[in-house]
Amino acid sequence: MDRRTFLKTAGPTTLAATLAGCLVSDGGDGGDGGDGTDGDPTDEPGTTEGGTDTQGTPTATPEPDLEGTLTVATYSAFVDAPSSSPGPWLKDEFESQYPDATVEYVTPENGLNQYVQRRKQGAGIDADVYVGLNTSQLITVDENLPDSRLFADLDRGRLENAGAVKSELEVDPRGRAIPYDTGYISLVYDESVVSNPETFEALTTSEYAGTLLAQNAQTSDTGRAFLLWTIHEFGEDGYLDYWRNLLDNDVRILENWDAAYGAYGEGERPMVVSYSTDQVFANRYDQDMTRHQVSFPNDQGYANPETMAVFEGADEPDLAYRFFDFLLSPTAQGEIAERNVQFPATDNAELSAEYDRYAKVPPEPVTFSYEQLQGNVEGWIDDWGREVVSR
Amino acid sequence: MTERGSAAGGGDRSDEAEDTGGDRRVSAVLAPLWTALDRWGLAATAGLTALIVGVVFYFPVVLVLRRAVVAGGRVTVAPVAAVLTDPFYVGVLADVLGNPLAVGRHLGAVVGFLTEFRLRLGTYHGLPWLYLVVPGVRTGLFGFTAYQALLSTVLSVAVGLPGAYVLSNYEFRGRRFLRSVTILPFVLPAVMVAIGFYAMFGAQGTLNDALGLLGLGDVNLLFTLKIVVIAHAFYNAPLIVRVTTAAWETVDRRTVETARSLGAGPRRAFLDVVVPQLLPAILTGALLTFIFTFLTFPIVLMLGGARLATVEVWVYRRIRELAYQEAAALAVVETVLSLGLTLLYLRYERRAASLGTGSVEDRDPLVPSLRSLVTPQRLAIVGYGALVVVLFVGPLASMILASVTNEGTLTLRWYRVLLERQVEGASFQTKPLPAVRNSLLFAGATLVVAVPMGVVVAVTTRRWRGGHLLETLAMAPLSVSGIIVGIGLLEGLVFGVDLPGPYRLVLTGPVAIAAAHAVAAYPFVVRSVGPLLSRIDRATVESARALGASRARTLLDVELPLVASGVVAGAAFAVAISIGEFDSTVILAEGGTTYTMPVAVERYLASRTLGPASAMGTIMLAVTAAAFVVVDRVGGRFER
Repeated sequence: MDRRTFLKTAGPTTLAATLAGCLVSDGGDGGDGGDGTDGDPTDEPGTTEGGTDTQGTPTATPEPDLEGTLTVATYSAFVDAPSSSPGPWLKDEFESQYPDATVEYVTPENGLNQYVQRRKQGAGIDADVYVGLNTSQLITVDENLPDSRLFADLDRGRLENAGAVKSELEVDPRGRAIPYDTGYISLVYDESVVSNPETFEALTTSEYAGTLLAQNAQTSDTGRAFLLWTIHEFGEDGYLDYWRNLLDNDVRILENWDAAYGAYGEGERPMVVSYSTDQVFANRYDQDMTRHQVSFPNDQGYANPETMAVFEGADEPDLAYRFFDFLLSPTAQGEIAERNVQFPATDNAELSAEYDRYAKVPPEPVTFSYEQLQGNVEGWIDDWGREVVSR
Repeated sequence: MTERGSAAGGGDRSDEAEDTGGDRRVSAVLAPLWTALDRWGLAATAGLTALIVGVVFYFPVVLVLRRAVVAGGRVTVAPVAAVLTDPFYVGVLADVLGNPLAVGRHLGAVVGFLTEFRLRLGTYHGLPWLYLVVPGVRTGLFGFTAYQALLSTVLSVAVGLPGAYVLSNYEFRGRRFLRSVTILPFVLPAVMVAIGFYAMFGAQGTLNDALGLLGLGDVNLLFTLKIVVIAHAFYNAPLIVRVTTAAWETVDRRTVETARSLGAGPRRAFLDVVVPQLLPAILTGALLTFIFTFLTFPIVLMLGGARLATVEVWVYRRIRELAYQEAAALAVVETVLSLGLTLLYLRYERRAASLGTGSVEDRDPLVPSLRSLVTPQRLAIVGYGALVVVLFVGPLASMILASVTNEGTLTLRWYRVLLERQVEGASFQTKPLPAVRNSLLFAGATLVVAVPMGVVVAVTTRRWRGGHLLETLAMAPLSVSGIIVGIGLLEGLVFGVDLPGPYRLVLTGPVAIAAAHAVAAYPFVVRSVGPLLSRIDRATVESARALGASRARTLLDVELPLVASGVVAGAAFAVAISIGEFDSTVILAEGGTTYTMPVAVERYLASRTLGPASAMGTIMLAVTAAAFVVVDRVGGRFER
C-alpha cells in the first residue's frame, strides 16, 4: 500500500512537471500484478508533490486506504458533454463523502483501446478504474490480451450496494465488471414527417426510403448495438441481406452517435438510431416532443448495459471499491440515470416521476450474451463493414 | 534590418556585417561564439531539424509500418501481399497481382470486358437515342480513393484557374487582400469546414433557404460523393489559384507582344505563349491536390458518411478495431503510392521554378465603367464571383450565422453557453479561453521552430546533387498517412520506449505537441521558400562566398532577404497549420489540459446541436484570421 501511494503521487507529478520527455519507471503502472516486490521505492525517479505522508509506516491491519487520487478512465460524454454529464456531480459528491480522496478523470481519445494497447506494449496504466464497458468491449479486451489481465476480479462482497444490481444486466462471465447503467437502442423519429415504422421490414419499404440515420458499427457503440440487434433478429446468415435492403433504401450511416444525432437535429433525416430515453433529455430542455418519438421495431429494444471494472494492479483499490459502491447507491444511480440519460442498473434508484414518464422501456428487451458474441462479433462487424463500403 | 540584426544576437557589429554584405568584423569578445555560429549554425540547425523529424515523424511511422513487414521477428511480405490480392482493396487488379504469370487469363478477362460493351436503344426527351452500356468494373478501395482524388483535382483546377486569371490580369480594389487570403481555406481545420458545410449545404442549410426564396427545389448534398469533392475543392482550389497566379504574374508580356506582332491572334498567342508557361505550375498544383485528396481523411469521415471510404478512412477503422497489421500493410501500399507522386511533384516543381522571371504590373482594370460589365468576359467574371461566394464565403458565413441563431431566431445563447462553461466548468472540462491560449502558444512555438527547419531543408536540398531524393524524404510528412503518424506517436512517444533498467522514455506534453506541429508545418515552409531560392542567381551567392562570407552569413544576408516573401508565406502557413492541427494534439495531450481550439470545437460538437460548436468555430476563425494578418503585417516589413 505504501509503495503504491508513493508511486501514485510520484507518477503524475513527474509527467506533469516535465514538458518534453521524462523517464518513468515500469513499476509504476502496477503491471507486475500488484505484488509490490519488484522494486524499491527509492529507485523511483521524480519527487513527491507535497513530500508528506507518502512513505508512512507499513501496517498489518486491513484498514482501507481512503486517501489519495482515484484516477477514473471513461468516455468523454460521461464527464464533459456540453449538455449534461454525471461526471462533475459524482466527483463533487464522492469527494465530500471522502474528504481525503480526489477523483481525477481521464478520457483518452481512443477510449478503451488506449489501455488494451498499453497493456500489449508493456506501457504503464495510470488509471485505477474504467467506467463505460459493454459486452463487446469486454470481448475486445479478452481477445486482444489472451495472456494478460487488464481488469482485476471484482470482490462483490466489498460492495454493499452490489445486491441491488439487476441480475439481467450482468454481462461479464468472468466477474470483473459490474453494471452501473443500461440503455435500450431504439429509433427516434419526427412524427410530423414519418410514422412509427413498427417493424424492421418496414424500414426497407419505399415509405421509409431515405429516412433513417444510423451509425458505423466499426467505430460507434450505438451503431454496433444496432447491428447486433439486426443480427439477433435476422440471424448470422440473414443480417447482411437485410442490410443490403436497408442500404438500397438509402440508409445514411455516419461515424458515431454524435454525428448522427446532430444530423437528425439539423433536420437532415426524420429518423435516427438512438436511445429509448430520448424524451428525458428533450423534456429537460422543453423541446417539441413531435421530434422525439421513440419507436421499438418488432416491439424490441437492444439492451446495452454499461459496466465498470478495476484495473489489475490499480494504485487505489480501496478507493476504487468505495467509488463503485457510491456509484451504485440509490442517490447516485438516480443522478447517473438523469444526467447520463440512461436507465439505472439497480432496483432501488431514486428517480423523479418525470423520469419514469419519459424514459421508455421496450416491451421485449433483447441482447447478445458474452458467450454468444465471443468469437463472432469481430467477423460479423468486418463483413458488415465491407458490405457497406462496397455497395 | 537593424531590428533583425540585434535580435539575432550579434549586436551592432552584426549590423555592420549585414550592411557590408558579409564583411566580418567582429568584436574580440563575441568572436569565438560568432565564428562558431557562423561556421556551424547551419549544420546545427540542419542536425536539429533531422533530430526533430526523426523523433516525431520517422520513428513513429517506422514503428507502426514495420508491422506490415515484420511478424514474429521475421521479415515477411504476407500482409502486403494480402492487401494486394484482396479485391476489396484493389478491385480487378487483385487477380492480376495474385497471379501475375497467368497472362492468358488476364488477357481473356480484358477481352471479356471489352465485349461486354453494349449499345442500347432508348429515348431521350422523347427522341430515340443510343446509349452506351459500360460494363461494371470492381475498383476496390484504392480505385475509389484515386477516383475521388481525380474528381477533386479536376474540380479544384476548374475552380482555381479562373481565379488565377482574374487575380493576375485585372486590377481592382482589394486585389492584394484577396490574393493574400486565398490560401486561408487551405489551412482551416476539417472539423470547422465540416460544420460550415453542414450549415451551408445541409437539408436545412443556407443554400436550400436561398433556393427556397428563389422558388427552386431543395438540393440534398450531404453524405454524398458530391459534397466530398466540393469540400476538397474548397480546400485545394485556393492552392491552384496560388501557384498559378504566381506563375502568371511572371509570364513575360514581351513574349506575348512579340507573338502578336508576328501575326498571332490573341487566342493563338495565349495558347502558344502563355499556356506553356503556366502549365508546369498548374501541373504541380494539380499533383499536390491529388496527393492531398488521395490521403484525405476527416472530410470523407465527417461529410461523406460511412459508405464512402478512402484507403485512409479504412486504415483508421482497422486501427479502431485493433487490426494493426492489416492497417499497417494498407498504409505501406498507400505510402508507396503517395511518395511516388511526391517525387513526381518535386520534379515538376523544379521545372516550374526554372522558368523565366518577367514581372508585370500592367493589369487591366476589372471594372473600367459600369457599361463594361455587360461584355461576355466581365459577365463571366461576375458569375465566377457568385460561385466563389457560394463555395468559399458560404460555408464560413453559414457557420457564423449558425452561431447566432437558434431555430430561426437570432440569439447569443451559444456564446452564453461557452461563457458559462468558461466560468462554471470543472477543471477537467473543455473551456474556450484555455483553448484559444494554447492554440496561440503552440502557433508561436511552431513558427519559431518550423521556419528555420523549412529554410534549412530548402537550402540543403537545393544545393546537393541527388537533393531531390533527400527532399522527398523531407517532404514525407505531407505524403504519409496521418493516422499512422498518430498511432506511432501514441505508441512510440506516449507509451514510451523501454530503456535499460526499470525505465521507459516517455515524450508527451506541450513540447512534444509543438514539435509535432512543427513537423506538420515545415514542409509548407520548404514549399514556400524553395522555389524562390532556386531562382536566385547563383553568381550572387558565389560572389558573397568569394568575398569571404560564410555559408550561414550568405544565407542570412543575401539569400533570405531575396526570398523574404516566401519566408513570410511559410510563416503564415506554419501558424495556420499549427492552429488547425488535430490528431497529434489530442494524442500527445494525453487527456491533459493542453487542448486547442479545433479540439474544443470537436468536443462541443457532441451536444445534439451545432450551436456551441459553431460559436467556438467562429471564435477560431476570428483568431486564425487575426494571426494570419499579424504574420502578414509583421512579416511584410521585411519584404522588399
